[in-house]
Amino acid sequence: SGWTYFGALELGGMWASGERAWYNLYKDLPTAGLYLNNFYFKARDMQPGKGYFVEGLGGALGYRDQYSGINVGRYNDWKVKLFYNEIPHTFTTNYRSLWDGVGSDYLTLKTLTPGGTLVQNPNGTPNQAASTDATRTNLLNAINAGEGGRDLELVRRKGGISLDKYLSNTWRFYGNYTQEKREGARPFGAVFGGGGGGGNIEIPESIDYDTHNILGALRYDDGLNNLNLQAQVSLFRNNIDTMTFENPIYALTNTVLTSPTGTAATAVTPGSMFTTGRYDLYPDNDYYNLRAEYGRSLPEWFRSRLTATISLSKMKQDDDLIAPTTNDMSGMFINGVSAYNNWNTTSALSKQSADAEIDTQLFDIGLTSRPLDKLDVNGKIRYYATDNKTDYQACNPLTGQWGRLINDGSGGAFVIPNATAGNNPLGTLPTAYDTTGCNLDAARALGLVPSAGNTNLTNIPYQYSKTNYELGGIYRLARGQSINGRIEREEYHRDYRERDETWENMVKVGYVNQAMDIGTLRASVEYGRRRGDSYDTDPYKQFYSISLGPEPTANLTNIASWIHNIGSFRKFDLADRDRLALDVRLDLITLHDLDLGISGQYRDMDYPDSDFGRNDHQKLGSATLDLNWQPSPKLGLYGYYTYQQSTMNQAGIQPNGCIIGNYYYFYSDGFVGTGTVPAAPARAGATVVNTVVVASNNWESQCGDNSATSPLWPDGRIWKTDTRDTNHAFGLGGRYDFGFARLELDYTYVKGISSIDYDYNSAALTAVPTAITAATWQLAGNGMPDMDYNQQALNFNLVVPLSKSVALRA
Amino acid sequence: CVPTDTVKNHASAGVETQIDLTNQDSTYIGEKACLECHKNAGDHASMGVHVSAFRSNPQNARQREVCESCHGPGSKHAQETTNRSLIIGYTKGWGTPVPKQNAVCLTCHQGGQRINWARSPHDVNEVACSDCHNPMMQNSATGNLLRVSINETCYTCHPQQRAEFLKRSHMPLPEGKMSCNDCHNPHGSPTRPLLKTDTVNETCYECHAEKRGPFLWEHAPVRENCVNCHQAHGSNHDKLLVAPRPMLCQQCHDAGVGHPGNFYNNSQTAESALQVGGVQSQRVIGRACQNCHTQIHGSNHPSGARFQR
Repeated sequence: SGWTYFGALELGGMWASGERAWYNLYKDLPTAGLYLNNFYFKARDMQPGKGYFVEGLGGALGYRDQYSGINVGRYNDWKVKLFYNEIPHTFTTNYRSLWDGVGSDYLTLKTLTPGGTLVQNPNGTPNQAASTDATRTNLLNAINAGEGGRDLELVRRKGGISLDKYLSNTWRFYGNYTQEKREGARPFGAVFGGGGGGGNIEIPESIDYDTHNILGALRYDDGLNNLNLQAQVSLFRNNIDTMTFENPIYALTNTVLTSPTGTAATAVTPGSMFTTGRYDLYPDNDYYNLRAEYGRSLPEWFRSRLTATISLSKMKQDDDLIAPTTNDMSGMFINGVSAYNNWNTTSALSKQSADAEIDTQLFDIGLTSRPLDKLDVNGKIRYYATDNKTDYQACNPLTGQWGRLINDGSGGAFVIPNATAGNNPLGTLPTAYDTTGCNLDAARALGLVPSAGNTNLTNIPYQYSKTNYELGGIYRLARGQSINGRIEREEYHRDYRERDETWENMVKVGYVNQAMDIGTLRASVEYGRRRGDSYDTDPYKQFYSISLGPEPTANLTNIASWIHNIGSFRKFDLADRDRLALDVRLDLITLHDLDLGISGQYRDMDYPDSDFGRNDHQKLGSATLDLNWQPSPKLGLYGYYTYQQSTMNQAGIQPNGCIIGNYYYFYSDGFVGTGTVPAAPARAGATVVNTVVVASNNWESQCGDNSATSPLWPDGRIWKTDTRDTNHAFGLGGRYDFGFARLELDYTYVKGISSIDYDYNSAALTAVPTAITAATWQLAGNGMPDMDYNQQALNFNLVVPLSKSVALRA
Repeated sequence: CVPTDTVKNHASAGVETQIDLTNQDSTYIGEKACLECHKNAGDHASMGVHVSAFRSNPQNARQREVCESCHGPGSKHAQETTNRSLIIGYTKGWGTPVPKQNAVCLTCHQGGQRINWARSPHDVNEVACSDCHNPMMQNSATGNLLRVSINETCYTCHPQQRAEFLKRSHMPLPEGKMSCNDCHNPHGSPTRPLLKTDTVNETCYECHAEKRGPFLWEHAPVRENCVNCHQAHGSNHDKLLVAPRPMLCQQCHDAGVGHPGNFYNNSQTAESALQVGGVQSQRVIGRACQNCHTQIHGSNHPSGARFQR
């Protein structure tokens, strides 16, 4: 027959020891045993008119990083490809779990009591402190007694089949189906309690995903016209949509109280009530995409080429929503309303399924022409937009309460009419909003000042559009030399962000020289200037309780939640930005057998209008030297070294407070005190340099932005950080063929140093200087400890041919 | 000025297309004549897809010419072998201008993934197809590459990315579990930087489909662009983050109430908690902000507005 066959197989033994978590990050290293490193085979029938082939390859069979594939087909006619690939992701090999059922939808505590350890006072009431201490002790004992040495990992297993078929001289079909199964668990966390959280616990997140991808495409090419038509479907399925875990900690609560008239200070909830927590993990989702790409060569019209792309997508999911808690909330009250059986059912939700959808569209058209032999010009317009159709109200139809029960019922974020006297008419009940039956317009029509400004009422359907206009060209200076340039404008329109519009004007110039006998030079410089319309620090008002009623005016009202962010804070993705990018690459052929590559990159992003947030200059520099030397067929050597350094700055202010009617005393050491009388209390070592009173008619100007005398954001509480990364990557290796054996050597050395330095005024952040606070600031120092990362890898192989077809690798 | 003649060739679809080969009007002499001088090249090339296909199942008349299908008619070259203008070469030393080299390749490969080659960064920078591909050798398992793998091929011009993949937190390229072309189409794309999909996010969703959602509660910078928070290739920080937490989150969050604007420092680490004055903060240790705000990519829980469930 006309078939020819060839292949290779690398089989051996392996032994490994020691802590292998880092090495096993994406690999599966057997501790001992036979190991099929890799194999491949090919068979071809090359007779004229045949052209059939079978190819296969694989490796690590039986292990969690195994891979294999086979291609069968006929050249220039059809090809079927099957593949299978596994990728492990090991987080640790020394995991101690408090739960059974890791990887499932229910985590059962092995030994600990769900809800923590309740210690009661003699009168039978919960002893909060003693319960917390006892729970912590039991937790420590359980961790120490637990079995270590377990892997916490997940594994991706992906397989697929594809078909590539020439339908005619002009049409070609391509289709594939892939399925990925991802299983295991990863580090995760849970929090209980209200507000910022009263208790955290490290838990494993169970992972059991299936993702199906189906793609079909038709391609057309008649030499002048090119057309790609493609349809794609991706279906993500989470087999653990909801994960419940038994809670080992003693949870303290707020907002959710044990008496209808109680306060957070007096109400102590039996922690043992919150025995479980429940996550609504990533929902199943569907993705559909239709894409058409067209290219048309116009050789008679300035040697032009037109390209156009249309792509329409839909992302949607309609997962059933879950109840806010699994607990019946017996004996609990939220703002005077019984929570009993009002929150452990999906009837507590404004809708039963998510019905979330985002549609996207892309239109791109470009033209490139060569009006002169030396000149190419091109232009392009690209438009991309998202349309978010998701809506959700955070209101319980059973009670009419706006807001949400958080952390499985151990806390709440609700809005009621403001209770500070003077903000609302006398006699306004805490349940006034509730009576509107989750009708947001009706609730707003009441005209009542809400209790806080930052309670979520509805979701925010973020969406945006982006348009790029581009004009560029290439001018050939001489044989092998050219300059290229591009000017571009990028316009963003965003809904519900701090800026409705941003735009960036860019210019890029590049130079290519391939005419030099000694090598090739490529260099480019790009500058971009991004600006935008006025920056609104709180564009989200309609989605928060701030929109429920007028602003408060009464003394003693804490107004801080009405102020979303520092006035001069700039989110970096929207901020004014000046951007510089330099790239240079020089490939030298210094000798006939020696190649030398020198390359460098420099990036500088300046945020000229950002006092807070990411600010100043963000820089990245990178330089690389590459060497390849092949003096003979027997000897080949390579080496490279890359140095990178990046810096990033940011600033923030630790908020203080803003209460109408309160006096704020600004001391010489930066500290800000507060009180209800004009006279400031004495402070050791400092004097009062200013006093400000917040009034109903000035709180926005007093507290809305930072200043030396801002009650909420005083300059004395500014902190600044400087993050710096330095990296070295060095590689060296080669091979030498002795004839009787081949020596192969590869060595890699990587060093990364990350540092975080900071500036702050410790006196401004210290209410009462004590020996303890002094020790705290001594520990704080000027920065976090450096994070050093070092990795060395040496790969040494000796390949000894035993016969024409067998070699030994050691 | 170099006079330009044209040679009529059979395009991939059998349509005659004018290709500016070089200053010649050669005729085809056949593979056998080429191999008289280039036997080694023929031996190597016979392992590759091009020559295999041309020999065993040519799609059109041009492919039947095998060597001359890509190098152009060789009659004059055979007569004057040192004249570099008489045959198309794909090495730097031979001197055929890159646009001319690429035009030959695009005669058959202009459609499909190359439909957007014109105006792409590699085109603008006059990168030759032969800078990455070598159909005359079987160096790589797929793609007729110049190097043993896609990644190694890309690193020849993009060493910065090689260094990033070697960082502490990285995409699994060094382990051989990903290739640059899983995300990028080096032959051109309407989406920067040569991405295979419409956006950065849609590219990420190809492997991280769970984060596609959409969700009841969205996180604006997450929905818009994954690289707002993550490096695409590698980082010294956990999860390929662009900055360490909690500082990363504080680059956008400094609310008037609560903890987002607080000054977090070294007195709040687990190690400092063992010393006088140190108090461990859950906002500094472990995953910092994500110890509580675990569902930071979006939440479908009715209580998940702050991504805690």
